[in-house]
Amino acid sequence: MKEREAESMNDQNEKIRKIFADVLGIPVEKIDDDLQYNSIPEWDSIAHMALITALDKSFDIMIETEDIIDMSSFGKAKEILQKYEVVL
Amino acid sequence: MNFWDLSHSGKSIVVNNSETRKNYSYLEFQDRVDAFKAEMAAQNTKGKTLGFIFCRNSPAALAGYLAALQGKQAVCLLSVQLADFLRDELIRIYQPDWIWAPSEMGALPNNYDGKREWEGYRLSCISRESKGTEIHPDLAVLLSTSGTTGTPKMVRLSYRNLQANAESIAEYLRLTSNECPVTTLPMHYSYGLSVVNSHLQVGATLLLNNHDMMTRSFWNLFKEENPTSFAGVPYTFQMLHRLKFEQMQLPSLRTITQAGGHLDVQYQEYFQKACGRMNVRFFVMYGQTEATARISYIPVEKLSDCLGSIGISIPDGRMEADPETQELIYHGPNVMMGYAESRKDLNKGDELNGRLRTGDIVRQDERGHFYIQGRLKRFIKPFGLRVNLDDLESMIKKRFQKACYCTGDDSHLLIAVPHENLTQEVKNLMVDTYGMKLSTLRVSTLTDIPRLETGKVNYAALKDALLK
Repeated sequence: MKEREAESMNDQNEKIRKIFADVLGIPVEKIDDDLQYNSIPEWDSIAHMALITALDKSFDIMIETEDIIDMSSFGKAKEILQKYEVVL
Repeated sequence: MNFWDLSHSGKSIVVNNSETRKNYSYLEFQDRVDAFKAEMAAQNTKGKTLGFIFCRNSPAALAGYLAALQGKQAVCLLSVQLADFLRDELIRIYQPDWIWAPSEMGALPNNYDGKREWEGYRLSCISRESKGTEIHPDLAVLLSTSGTTGTPKMVRLSYRNLQANAESIAEYLRLTSNECPVTTLPMHYSYGLSVVNSHLQVGATLLLNNHDMMTRSFWNLFKEENPTSFAGVPYTFQMLHRLKFEQMQLPSLRTITQAGGHLDVQYQEYFQKACGRMNVRFFVMYGQTEATARISYIPVEKLSDCLGSIGISIPDGRMEADPETQELIYHGPNVMMGYAESRKDLNKGDELNGRLRTGDIVRQDERGHFYIQGRLKRFIKPFGLRVNLDDLESMIKKRFQKACYCTGDDSHLLIAVPHENLTQEVKNLMVDTYGMKLSTLRVSTLTDIPRLETGKVNYAALKDALLK
């Protein structure tokens, strides 16, 4: 059971990573947990809006205001999305 | 008295920088400005000079700007995000006598010497005797017409332009010294600059900030410093909408203003309702850099009747439609002196005499309100900043030696390229060099460009094809 959970978590993280890469227009390899909001020109406030929209759509959720403004890194995004119990 | 004289000596705070949280009285801030003026005087002994300021919403940039105005120097305000080669091209074309830029900015051309650093900014002066042509005594500020695309075309604004627009804005927004705007736009952008100018005019507190609304830092600052107003362009309001503005607790907020392009009526209605409940005044405004910033606004109480309109002229201004072309003509003391394309144009006087052809096509309803119907010139404002589509086309052509076609609206920039293998390169050029946003950009391969009978590109059809 544990293993399957871990596997599904991994799938979800990969899916989030793919969304980041598509929306920001950067290679998947450049996206790690430490990638910070506003640290690259590709991830500014306009891109952040697009990112939220893409995440909402892909996981069929509505991310809360507090979570939008806390999503300050890729690592943080993964952490935040966990609590939405997103279904893959 | 002019706003740049900082004459409101009784007022306690002027700058509250969100990074360092330093407060200055107007009087203390004047000491900063004096220090900058003294430095300038030591460097440039002869005549009127041109400075470039790369703007952040910081005390250093503001002090440099005010020192230039007080000292009757001319100053060009620019984005810190300008790509290095575009910046160097502007330096070549305008030959600034001095440059005031963040210390970490990439190396300047080697005929500039770094002279002095202060609060993260460095003053660099041209090392040889300036060959730059003389500068007109009325010229105060140069602003770019295009934000980060780096086209050398600048709007020439006089001291009178700046002061007149600051006074008009302070009047119709009924600003007082009790106001405290948090800066949400950059100073090199005419709208952002107008917020600074109009509030200095009344001796208000400026909360200088560089955080954007998608960050916790911004909202923490908001809670701690209790600003009374902010300004936004259409995408700011789309963000606020997504952040559920209507549920926010912002007790200090009294006014928000919107300009920088057309905000969809659905958003206007949303913000009108939300602001009504929060007891906040919501101003929808229209303007152009060519008119220093503001041309018209909708009085708050009239918004329901005027949704989608650009409202009425600001005090001291007047709007009319050209009877033949329906182009909006604006008259007022804030109409620019004219454009500049290089250093030699800085000696030109006022070429417009207070009359501006806006390039916007309008209709007027029976109550006298103007509605924008379209544009004569081909430009779009996908994130508040103007993008001239013809300029973009020629820049792409210059770079790739291939004809590409640009179209779009205030939400999208659409580009047709002749080969698949150009798609990524054009995207990169737009994003890396010209600061376009990937989320508003679409580049597609299209070999069959729709044309009119005259042989000219049919941009309306092209737009439809690219949006498919």
